[in-house]
Amino acid sequence: MQPKLKSKVRCTDREVGEVTKVIVDPLSHEVSHIVVGGNGAGTLERQVPMAQVQTVLEDAVQLRASSADLERFPLLKRDEYVTTKEVEIAHLEDHLHVEPGEVLVPLPELERNVKRRTFFANFTHAISLLVALPLAVPVLRYLMKPMYAPFDNHWIKIGNVGKIKTDDVGVQFKYKKKFKEAFMPEAEIDKNVWILKASPAVLGEVYKGKDMDFYDATGRLLWTNKANVPYVVYSGKCPHLGCGYKWRAHKVLGQVFLCPCHLSIYNAGGKVLDGPAPRPLDPLPIRVAANGDIEIIDMEFKAGTKAQVRIV
Amino acid sequence: MNGQPTAIEKIVAFVDERVGLKTLQAKMLNEPVPGGSRWAYVFGSVLLFIFIMQAATGILLMFYYVPSADHAYASTQYIIHEVDYGWFLLSYHFWGSSAMVVMVFAHMSQVFLWGAYKKPREMVWLVGLALFGIVMGFGFTGYLLPWDQRAYWATTVGVEIMDKTPIVGDFMARFLKGGPTPGQMTLSRFFVIHVMILPAALMGLAGLHVFFFRKAGPAGPFRGSSEELKAKTDYFFPRQIWKDMVAMGAVFFTICSLAFIEPVVLLEEATPDPGEYHPEPEWYFLFLFQLLRLKIFAGEFGQFLGAIALPGAFMALLAALPFIDRSPERNIFKRPIALVGWIIVMISIALFTVSAIINREFLD
Repeated sequence: MQPKLKSKVRCTDREVGEVTKVIVDPLSHEVSHIVVGGNGAGTLERQVPMAQVQTVLEDAVQLRASSADLERFPLLKRDEYVTTKEVEIAHLEDHLHVEPGEVLVPLPELERNVKRRTFFANFTHAISLLVALPLAVPVLRYLMKPMYAPFDNHWIKIGNVGKIKTDDVGVQFKYKKKFKEAFMPEAEIDKNVWILKASPAVLGEVYKGKDMDFYDATGRLLWTNKANVPYVVYSGKCPHLGCGYKWRAHKVLGQVFLCPCHLSIYNAGGKVLDGPAPRPLDPLPIRVAANGDIEIIDMEFKAGTKAQVRIV
Repeated sequence: MNGQPTAIEKIVAFVDERVGLKTLQAKMLNEPVPGGSRWAYVFGSVLLFIFIMQAATGILLMFYYVPSADHAYASTQYIIHEVDYGWFLLSYHFWGSSAMVVMVFAHMSQVFLWGAYKKPREMVWLVGLALFGIVMGFGFTGYLLPWDQRAYWATTVGVEIMDKTPIVGDFMARFLKGGPTPGQMTLSRFFVIHVMILPAALMGLAGLHVFFFRKAGPAGPFRGSSEELKAKTDYFFPRQIWKDMVAMGAVFFTICSLAFIEPVVLLEEATPDPGEYHPEPEWYFLFLFQLLRLKIFAGEFGQFLGAIALPGAFMALLAALPFIDRSPERNIFKRPIALVGWIIVMISIALFTVSAIINREFLD
């Protein structure tokens, strides 16, 4: 039978207190010592080896020593022990039946130097940082590789003005754009722009009487849309959040550009008539050949900003 | 019966002796439920069930799906039209994601109304909010993978919205898209996020969620004296598990029915020209979509307000909730602000969703 916590402890002559703790050998899982403490406060706790225990009863432990001899046993040095709640000892419960209370196991000799433990804890952090820090930049650069692509400023032929029959009416021009992304085979993607042959009034609304300049990423002038050329091309991307808008009849506003996503409405001059769009439609560089062929530079601007910010 | 243990019993005993299987099982099942089992407590278990099914169907879909801009659409069509039961597994996965969102709303509402986010369960609530974000992330990233028009445009608009975050928005949007516009890099990134990063994050956080929940213990009903609660208390097994299982069965049946009645049909392959398609997000993002149509969220600042600030502030409010609302009162009928707040949020979401649906008709 194992000594239980709170059991009375009797010496050969008299009762001296109770079992306040038990000490367990972490390897054999056997109780090696009992800790005897007094009933009253202030009484010292002494550790008594199991060899000194004569018999273990249901609620009491009989020692071989007399109460006077008990003084010779060492005092419990609590610092040198940890409780079984703080240390993982497999299968301890299978062998131990002393609950409830504090079951102690000795802290190994090598573990008693606190400063060294702090050093090792910091050392772990240092090594972790040494591994992580040199990786941060390569990983970030690795993931950022495709984020910023140079602009493609080639002229693309997209159709002929013969398709436009009426002034100030938006006409959609669909075209294929050659597109090569990273390792992928070159592909053609469908794109579209809206072109109108603007009356002087609408043209004035688009250009405000001034020529419109387009620059490349380095600030070099690419092209100037003359304010007196009646053909105006708008990027197919809605400046609100990037959906594709349409030329539609509106009950109140008449013929307008309407985006089905968040219901932004623009007039033929690209001006916002209604809805959440932050800026007018985006005119693109356009040139019309003598035979009516239309060429544009395909550009895309960031949606949702008041200012035009080119991204493609 | 001769009293001798069977071979299986011996194996179980062998394993149990070494790893403490029975203790583990007992610990898992013998959780006291204060005030007894209830149907209101099934949502967490149901979410776990839905996630396991999403993982299983998702893994099966990956046997045929190819995450590349020139094959994603064709491989998804192949799953739908050629592979035996492919249409069913894909449709189950699709409707399962909707079920997940519905159940997350139910779960959060239950916890909110029962006042179960209050001390000492703040950590459970916070991890739960992170899980809510992950579920939304799953929906958003999964939507792109079939690479049809719906996928392409929902992503285009969704990422443009993220772009409106001050200072870091442009970087975040480009980082996520892997370039200025959606393409192969976007598909690769969304695929990795959808099948690796989010599942790992969800498993880790869900484990933490349950661990914290077990540490704090179930909250129990919000009224009744401690004697009444004690008298009605039972263990997680069997009564709560039985209710959970019935709910899982019902959810499974519902998802299967939806997969049969409304199987997934793809639109045209993704392209930057929307054609006649009117872009629209998945139904659980419709209210946000409709919100951004409002005049007060017009312009650059308005857009930031509607797309970033408002949802951000709402999430921040939810996160701060257990720290603002410190009163120990859990009875929802004695927390008028909480009750009215919940009703307003639910009605607003419902109204915005319905008006987005009504708006569809005017566009055709």
